Amino acid sequence: MRLELRWFEVRELTVAPATALAGAPARLTGGRLEVDLEALRAQLSTDPRLAGVRLDAVHPGERVRIGRVFDVIAPRAKLDGGVDFPGVLGPIAKAGHGRTAAIAGVAVVATDQQSDQVAGALAVIDMAGPNAELSRFGRTHNLVISAWPAAGTARSEYLAAVRLAALKAGVVLAQAARDAEPARTEVFELPPSPRVPAELAHLPRVAYVFQIHSHQRPTGVDEGILYGDPIRRMLPTIVHPNEVLDGGVVRGFMGRNATTWAIQHHPIIRSLYARHGRTLWFAGVVVTVAHATEPERVRSAFLTAGLVAHTLGADGAILTKIGGGAPHVDMAQAAAHCEALGVKTTVIVEDMSTDGSAEGMILFDFPGVDAMVNVGGGQELLAFPAMERVIGADDLAPKLSGEMRATYGTLCGAIEQIGATTMMAEVR
Amino acid sequence: MPERLRVVCYVNQFFGQIGGEEKAGVEPLSRDGAVGAARAVQQALGDAGTVVATVICGDNYAAEQSDRALAAMVALVAAAKPDLVVAGPAFLAGRYGVACGALCAAVQAQLTVPAVTGMHAENPGVDLYRRSVYIVQTGAEATRMLPEAQRLVALGLKLARGEKIGAPAAEGYFARGVTRNVVTETTAAERATAMLLDKLAGRPFASEVPRPSFASVPAPRLVKTLEGATIALVTDGGLVPKGNPDGIEALNATRYGAYSIEGKDALDAAQYENPHRGYDTTWVKQDPHRLVPVDVARELEQRGAIGKLHETVYSTVGVATTLAQSARMGAEIAEKLRAAGVDAVILTST
Repeated sequence: MRLELRWFEVRELTVAPATALAGAPARLTGGRLEVDLEALRAQLSTDPRLAGVRLDAVHPGERVRIGRVFDVIAPRAKLDGGVDFPGVLGPIAKAGHGRTAAIAGVAVVATDQQSDQVAGALAVIDMAGPNAELSRFGRTHNLVISAWPAAGTARSEYLAAVRLAALKAGVVLAQAARDAEPARTEVFELPPSPRVPAELAHLPRVAYVFQIHSHQRPTGVDEGILYGDPIRRMLPTIVHPNEVLDGGVVRGFMGRNATTWAIQHHPIIRSLYARHGRTLWFAGVVVTVAHATEPERVRSAFLTAGLVAHTLGADGAILTKIGGGAPHVDMAQAAAHCEALGVKTTVIVEDMSTDGSAEGMILFDFPGVDAMVNVGGGQELLAFPAMERVIGADDLAPKLSGEMRATYGTLCGAIEQIGATTMMAEVR
Repeated sequence: MPERLRVVCYVNQFFGQIGGEEKAGVEPLSRDGAVGAARAVQQALGDAGTVVATVICGDNYAAEQSDRALAAMVALVAAAKPDLVVAGPAFLAGRYGVACGALCAAVQAQLTVPAVTGMHAENPGVDLYRRSVYIVQTGAEATRMLPEAQRLVALGLKLARGEKIGAPAAEGYFARGVTRNVVTETTAAERATAMLLDKLAGRPFASEVPRPSFASVPAPRLVKTLEGATIALVTDGGLVPKGNPDGIEALNATRYGAYSIEGKDALDAAQYENPHRGYDTTWVKQDPHRLVPVDVARELEQRGAIGKLHETVYSTVGVATTLAQSARMGAEIAEKLRAAGVDAVILTST
């Protein structure tokens, strides 16, 4: 399967009146992306689950804090009649092949304007100051979506509507690049896993086990994650890595240190692709979920290991998790089953310590699970300087605009559990 | 801060040139300037600082009268008004190493003066004090006093000047077991792929997370038959009476509750709630017995299958709880259960 990402570098995001764009909601000229915010807003407002939509464009260097970030989306649009985010935005169709326009330098930030129902769920992006350097989203031009629920809209429906608006907005932005010549083109092409040319048969076969959700919090009916499925009872499933990169997987609504943006740029898939055919053979991707009960967890762990070892025939596997403690242990248990079948593993953990002690970093100790990379500690405290303006989380604006101390986990994009970030908790 | 730092050294009776084992009972005393091994510290300091006093204490006195010795030494250190305390190095000398660690910890805490010591990896002082004190790794014996002193002083100067302290391997101190977020050159994904390729090729690799060394707790044998035993129900699954009267935290708990089930054959779902944020509590809220099986336990009690159901249920929230808090709460609950004559516990987790 062959996927072509056609990259367009945007250095300037400007708001343009409708008349300037001749009816199109966005236009790309050189490195400048012009957006008719009013036309786009009208388009996003048609969702009956939303009572109002507001759009703001913010830029690196502005003293702005984006509050209660819900998710971040990379602008992408399928070309040649392909389907965008199949199962969530478009009809169900195969993702991961054909040509896709991809815009670099711009992100769509969906905020949650409902009052904070889960303590600690606050995530912010700083567009200036030291924390802008710590998160990728402090260095992108951001189209920020604020939306309010219509009367009678349940929480899960509201979040589904906000996410859908963000996906739509991302597609609209990237569609502006439809007819332009890309700055560069990236090709992702992986043959069926067993078809290794004889001269490359000596390479170690490496699989990636991607935990795409944790059922610590059950998914809502509209909480599509894999091709629109809320994956409530999902058993481990093999997918082509291109399906992950190209909109087949989006993040669920519980977003602890994970964004859809990171999934669209999946750093492990890209890392394995970069070495494919040279120092390793990319054997494939298994998507899993962290379950709520012991039998489900054990079943998932051994089925995962079976797919990795017996079906993909991998010699090694990288595993990541999404969520808190339970998914962390689920991942390690799957890794332990892999090791038991002779598959060497590396796992990526978040430092789970809540008191900064090295002994609290992980919650498991399985034989063979001895190669661990960490993405830093989300609980460590970080200083947030005062900002001039807050966008998103209007109810918290007075509090959020001031100087504050909050955790690294509060800074959206500082820590990505799937390994897209450079933060690390160093043991001292 | 003065240009030349005031430094106080601590050495034992041997390195303080008072005498060998026969002088190990010597009580703490202070000498002006650098005495004995402290001269190596002065040499290492050069123009950066002056050893204004050397505190000396016998190893036996420090070990046997540890509280008194420590108080006296802290007072002697305080009198010299140091900017930095350098203790030892103690190499593999056990009593000396423990005293160095204790003194450094005390001057940091009580005088807020930075302190550094040095010792061999197997010195018992390392395990006791590495969490709170910068301990530079040294050889087992004092054969290379000057280079060892130079390494202590290099780290000590950074501490005294408030400079950034690098990683343990770079600075040569024992990892203190604390974590700090740092920004690295490459993404975690790139590091994971590289680590896996090393592991696959049989090359050495450095895990970024130490394997935990959880002490194993053997389950004690029940010395009675179940028919004569008092059984308690304990859970970390977060079941609490409505209103969460003890304010047990939704995560990172520091509190637990003791809730009476006297006169109850079963738990009424309407009277309970669950603040636990680490799992889907829907089913437990619907029927608390899924977590705390009072109903079945009462049946067993009535049938005589168990002697008695303890009338107090202990409950806390086990998610992101620190090991230290878990150990403390566990010990306190166990103590109360033992005092109440409980023989065995059914511990339900989630």
